[in-house]
Amino acid sequence: MISQKKVPYLVIAALFAIGIVMPFFIKKYHLNMLTEIILFALYAVSYNLLLGYAGLLSFGHAMFFGMGAFTVAVSLIHIPGLSMWNAVLMAVMMTTVVGFITGGFLLRHKGAYFALLTLAFNSLFYAVATKWHKITGGDDGLSITRPDLNLGFTTVKMADLTNFYYVTLLVIGAAIVFCWYFTKTAMGQTVLLMRENEERMKFLGYNTNISRLILFTFTGALAGLAGAFYTLHFQFVSQSAISVDMTTTVLLMTFVGGTGTFWGPILGAFVYIILQNYLSDITDRWPLVMGLIFVVMVLVIPGGLSQIILSIRSLLPGKRNTGKPIAAAAEESSS
Amino acid sequence: MSEVAVFFLHGLAYAGLLFLVSAGLTLVFGMMNVLNFAHAAMYMLGAYFSFTLLHVTGQFWLCLIVCPLLLFIIGALVERFLLRRVHIYGHLHELLLTFGLAYIITELVKLIWGNYPLAVNIGGFLGTTVQLFGIIYPVYRIFIFVCAIVVGTAMALVLFQTRLGIILRAAVNDSEMVNALGFNVPLVFTGVFAFGAALSGLAGVIAGPLLTTYPGMAHEILIDAFVVIVVGGFGSLGGAVVASLLIGELQSFGVLLFPKLSLALVYMLMAAVLIIKPSGLFGEKQ
Repeated sequence: MISQKKVPYLVIAALFAIGIVMPFFIKKYHLNMLTEIILFALYAVSYNLLLGYAGLLSFGHAMFFGMGAFTVAVSLIHIPGLSMWNAVLMAVMMTTVVGFITGGFLLRHKGAYFALLTLAFNSLFYAVATKWHKITGGDDGLSITRPDLNLGFTTVKMADLTNFYYVTLLVIGAAIVFCWYFTKTAMGQTVLLMRENEERMKFLGYNTNISRLILFTFTGALAGLAGAFYTLHFQFVSQSAISVDMTTTVLLMTFVGGTGTFWGPILGAFVYIILQNYLSDITDRWPLVMGLIFVVMVLVIPGGLSQIILSIRSLLPGKRNTGKPIAAAAEESSS
Repeated sequence: MSEVAVFFLHGLAYAGLLFLVSAGLTLVFGMMNVLNFAHAAMYMLGAYFSFTLLHVTGQFWLCLIVCPLLLFIIGALVERFLLRRVHIYGHLHELLLTFGLAYIITELVKLIWGNYPLAVNIGGFLGTTVQLFGIIYPVYRIFIFVCAIVVGTAMALVLFQTRLGIILRAAVNDSEMVNALGFNVPLVFTGVFAFGAALSGLAGVIAGPLLTTYPGMAHEILIDAFVVIVVGGFGSLGGAVVASLLIGELQSFGVLLFPKLSLALVYMLMAAVLIIKPSGLFGEKQ
C-alpha cells in the first residue's frame, strides 16, 4: 500500500515520464502546443500562488511575464554569443528586481485597490514597451533565434523543436515542482494562513508585509521565467506579451482551472491552449466563448474545473465528502 | 499664447469626459465597494448605441437621453441578476465578474459593430466653432465641459442635500442598520449601480464625436479613469473632480511639452501620489 504522502511524488514522476515519451507519439504541431502549455502552466501556477494562496488579485502579472520575455530577446540581440542559460538567468534576475521594487509600492494596498494599481502599473510597462522603439521594437516586436545549448561535452541544436521541448519540460517542470514544494514549506503555509487571518498571524509574530513581498517577488520571477521561455519558444516577442491581455489570459487559465488547488491552473492552461487552438479554427470569436465560460465559472462554479473534479471524486466510494469550502478541501486533498 | 489657451481648453474638455467616466466609477466604488471593471465597457456600449441611433435618427439630443436610459436598464439587470449572486463570495469575486463582463462586452461589440474605428459626425450647433477670447474653438468641447459641471453639481446636490443622499451615505457606513430602519437597501444598491452605468453611457455618447469609437476605447479610458480615482482618492467625488482636471491638463500639456513622455506622465503622477499620500489626494485612510 502506498502511503498518502508519497502520492504527489508518484504523480510528479508519472507526469515527467509521460512528458518524456510524448515526442515519440505526437506530431510536431501538437508538440508545439504542448511546449506552449508547459510554459503557460508555470505562468498560471505562479499567478495562482498570488490569487489562490495569498488572496491577492493582480491585474499586472503580465508585466513580469513580458519583462522576462523582453529581457531574453533584448539580451540575445545585443550581447553576441550569449548562452541561453544566461539570457534566461538575466530575465529571472530582472523580474526579481522589478518584482521587489513594484511590490514595495503595490503591496501597501489590498483587495480592489491592489487590483487597480497592478493594472495601472502594467499599463505603464506596456506604454514603455510600446514607446521605447529602439530597445523593444515597439509595434514591430523583436525576432530572435534560439541559441544552441552548450553542455560542455556536446552541443544540443535548439532549432530542433523536440530538443527545445525537452529543455522546457525539464526547466519549467522543475520550476513548477519547486512551486509545489514552496507551498509545503513554512513560508508557503504562512502565506496561506495570512489569507485566512492576517491579524492573528501578526499577533503570532509574523511579519506579514515581508512575507507578502517575498511571495510577490517570487511569483514575479516565476512569471519572468515563463516569459523567457515564451520568447524562446516563439522566437519572437512583441508588446502583446506585456499587455493586459496577457494578464487576462492567465486569469482565465487560473480561474477556469480552479484557484482552490495547486494543479487547477495547470489544468486550466491545458484547457485554455487546447480550446484556443481548436476554437480559433472554428470561430474567430473564441475569446467570446472563453469569456462566457469565465463568467459562468464565476457565477456557478467559483472553484473552477478542479472543483468539479474534486466533487466527482468525493462521490466515489471510499471518499467522504467533507462539505468544506473548496480551498480548504483542496488543501487537504493535496497534502 | 493662444496655443497655450487652446491646449488648456483641450485639457478641460478631456477632464470633463474623464470626470463623467470616473464619477460613476467612484460612486459605485464608494457606495457598494465594487470596483466595476465593466464600467468602461458600458461607456463603450454607450458610444456604440449612440452611433447606431445617430445613424438611424440623426438626432444627437435623442442619443443623450436614450443611451443612458438603455445603460441604466442594463446596469440594473447586471446588478440584480449577476452581481448580487456573487456578493456572498466577497469583493474579489464581484471584481472578477465585472472583469468577465467587460471582456464579453468588448467581444460582443467587435462581433456586432466590427473591429474597426467608426466616425461619429454631429451636425447642428454643436458641430460648429465659436470665437472665444480671440481664438476659434469647437463648441462641442465646451459642451463636454459644461455637461461635466452639470452632472457633477447634480450629483453633489443629491448626495449632500437630499434625503436620498442621506440614505445612500448611511447605507455605505452600515447597510444592515439602514435596512433595519425600513429602507430597501438592495434596491438602493441596484439604483446606484444602474445610475453608475447610465453615467458611463452618457460619457460614452459624449465621447463618441470627440474620440473615435472603436473596440479599444474602453480599455483606453479605463486606465485613465482608474488613475483618476487613485489620484483623487477612492470613492471621493471631490477628489474625482480635482484629479480629472489634473490629468486632463497633464495629458493635454504633456503632448505639447514632452510628446515622447506623454503616455508615461500620467503614471508618474500616480506613482508620485502613491508615494506621498497612498490614499489619494482626497481619500480617507483605508
